[in-house]
Amino acid sequence: MHADLALRAPARAGRYPAAVVAFRTARKAVRSGVLWGYVFGLTVASSALTYASTYKTPAQRANLAVTFGSNAGLAAINGPARQIQTVAGYTVWKSFMFLIVIGGVWGLLTATRLLRGEEDAGRWELLLAGQTTRRGATAQGLAGLAAGLATLWALTAVITVAVGRSAKVGIAAGPALFFSVALVAAAAMFLAAGAFTSQLAATRRQAAGYAGAALGVAYALRMVADSDPGLAWLRWASPLGWVEELQPLTGPRPLALLPIAGLTALLAGLAVYLAGRRDLGASLLPDRASARPSSLLRGPVGLAVRLARPAVLGWAAAIGALALLMGFIAKQAGTVLASSPGIERAMSRLGVRGGGAAEYLGLTFFMVSVLVALLVAGQVTAARSEEAEGRLEHLLVRPVPRWSWFAGRLALIAAVAVGSGLLAGFFAWVGAASQRSGVSLASLLAAGLNVVPPALCILGVGALAMGAWPRATTVATYSLLAWSFLIELGNGFFSSSHWLLDTSVFHQMAPAPAVSPDWVSAAGLTAIGVLAALLGGAVFGRRDLAGE
Amino acid sequence: MGAPAISAAGLSKSYGSVQALRGLDLEVASGEVVGYLGPNGAGKTTTIRLLLGLIRPTAGRAEIFGLDCQREAVAAHRRLSYVAGEANLWPSLTGRETLNLLGRVAGRVDTAYRDELIDRFDLDPRKKVRAYSKGNRQKLLLIGALMARPDLLVLDEPTAGLDPLMEQAFRQCVHEARERGQAVFLSSHILSEVEALCDRVGILRDGVLVEMGSLAEMRHLSALTVEATFDGSVPDLSRVPGVSAVEVTGRVVRCQVRGSVEPLLKVLAASGVHELLSREPSLEELFLAHYGESRKAESVAGHAR
Repeated sequence: MHADLALRAPARAGRYPAAVVAFRTARKAVRSGVLWGYVFGLTVASSALTYASTYKTPAQRANLAVTFGSNAGLAAINGPARQIQTVAGYTVWKSFMFLIVIGGVWGLLTATRLLRGEEDAGRWELLLAGQTTRRGATAQGLAGLAAGLATLWALTAVITVAVGRSAKVGIAAGPALFFSVALVAAAAMFLAAGAFTSQLAATRRQAAGYAGAALGVAYALRMVADSDPGLAWLRWASPLGWVEELQPLTGPRPLALLPIAGLTALLAGLAVYLAGRRDLGASLLPDRASARPSSLLRGPVGLAVRLARPAVLGWAAAIGALALLMGFIAKQAGTVLASSPGIERAMSRLGVRGGGAAEYLGLTFFMVSVLVALLVAGQVTAARSEEAEGRLEHLLVRPVPRWSWFAGRLALIAAVAVGSGLLAGFFAWVGAASQRSGVSLASLLAAGLNVVPPALCILGVGALAMGAWPRATTVATYSLLAWSFLIELGNGFFSSSHWLLDTSVFHQMAPAPAVSPDWVSAAGLTAIGVLAALLGGAVFGRRDLAGE
Repeated sequence: MGAPAISAAGLSKSYGSVQALRGLDLEVASGEVVGYLGPNGAGKTTTIRLLLGLIRPTAGRAEIFGLDCQREAVAAHRRLSYVAGEANLWPSLTGRETLNLLGRVAGRVDTAYRDELIDRFDLDPRKKVRAYSKGNRQKLLLIGALMARPDLLVLDEPTAGLDPLMEQAFRQCVHEARERGQAVFLSSHILSEVEALCDRVGILRDGVLVEMGSLAEMRHLSALTVEATFDGSVPDLSRVPGVSAVEVTGRVVRCQVRGSVEPLLKVLAASGVHELLSREPSLEELFLAHYGESRKAESVAGHAR
């Protein structure tokens, strides 16, 4: 009887047809987790190894601790410096805050892309018609995201433990594992936050915006808390503060995992609950379904401006805020630079001498150049998705030449890069001037322009990929960016290998405003970008349009 | 009279070892409405994308009003509008904004006609594309194409997702386009639509144009269906020249006749026929005959292997 029924049942597509959403989500989340797991692990590794090879003697390390240990300006950025006379303490101080913010951004972008993005694209409709409900699908989506998180953690843990075993570093496996848990704690909370806002908002972009705003508030709170020991209690008001309170490697406090796990579970639970309370494709917060006609839409470039505007404004706000903050603390943070021989050696390798606000800004404008490059990479990907998703056809079947669309789009992205560089220079000046740091507007605007050529080089390579290997555009653009970033992080470690350093788009960039920009190298980088873009444009004009 | 709206010679496209289109020769006169039929994957969309210059041919060439589809694409596009089968528009734009944009980019819009079309297709242009149903997005694309009043309309399954009322409105628009002298190239699955609208029909199979002509011509070449009811006994019709597919149900015989009907009429007259019905094949039958034959041939080849 049973055998009979089994014979007559239709063949099952997979082993667990009811878990198809979980598997689909997991596949994409794990892929992303692998990439970022490497970035996490290698960032930790390069911080630890660079420290071990730069500050060799106990005297150098003690000196470092004295100069940086109580600097409020640097604590506002990196978190409080604890035990930085040890490899472990320095590694935490150098990489921890940076990586937990990256983890938060990764979490909210991944969750909104794989939950709300998939729903908006209409792919969930097919799955929901199968053997699952909206609540079930969201729970499965969360399970898939958890697999991505587990991958991120596992890779981070493996690399951290492996580096810890090196005699120069000497971090035991247990503390290293706890450190890797702390590194991905923010990612866990913001994955759940992204899942939660995916239920509130009407589009993927809105959902990411809400979660991003929450991350911004959490960051600002912890920054205030870290800038003054009297305000340390405020750390408990920020999820990122909880992660700091874990104090991995320096004074582990596993109890701080409780609020982290609690918030993650609460947000994930709410996401599942709310998913059942709304219609597919609908939002809980009201969405403007109509709008006044925009006057921008006069042609392809106007369209590109309109489409890029929300994302560019968000990035510009982040870049402006970071530059303002850096300018604000530059004077105080700069005072310590000169007094540490180790730091001086690291700086002289970059061509920076002495200590002061300009020198501090010269070192930290690297972060601005990374953000501008990320903004550019995102816009290259957006241009490619216009083609991949078939929207470009509506323009190209009308009298719009391919080269003009391509050139217009690239010119717009280049203009955005220049604009955000200048914006960073201006806001850094506003911050610096408010503290009478004595760095001129002209030199900071020049420093802002100085971060643009690496972004233009990435833009050009992205354009070349879009012309010649359209389906690899995203991978090629972000790989170049991530590669360059890692090379720069490991600068001290790779210093013997010049050809390796030269593969980084950031390497030829002078650390302005500490030194004046090297316009010849900048022109060279720009020329590489322009040449690659021209080549990409020529191929794009001649090839078949390519879907996803 | 100027150059034809569409002319293609030996147009071919391969993707690796897959031949999507093989040596297409095609001509569409200006002012003519031509239907383009074929099963899924036969190469209809490939043809259209080649004509639009979105993809490049591996051999052969095509022209729109004498303008090369690849080298003079922009000039060619000034004279045509295209409706895609999949309405992937910008979700954050409203319907009105989309039409404004498409009109600006096309460089010509009959605004009075556009507003009339919005009315006729019953579209609310204030909504964002994201809030539209699939059918409404398709309407938006149709209006965007028709409002330019181009010399050539290239339509790739344009009525997917439209309800019967809107389908009617669409047919009305194609009739008007024809009356104004616009040429229409209509790829479709809906045979009744092609039958109602088109002067000539092409049938594509596995990348090859297997049939091209007016419906009258195609019917002439095809079998006629004859149904005869007899008073007395039913004669054996299977040996009559030109007759095939004989089915006997009681005193009623149904069969297909190819070529001259004279031999059949002689036999029928001698056998005391009581009632005689004959009709031309519908486009559906023509289409199925072409498609069905290829399927049969394939399955025979499969068994022989």
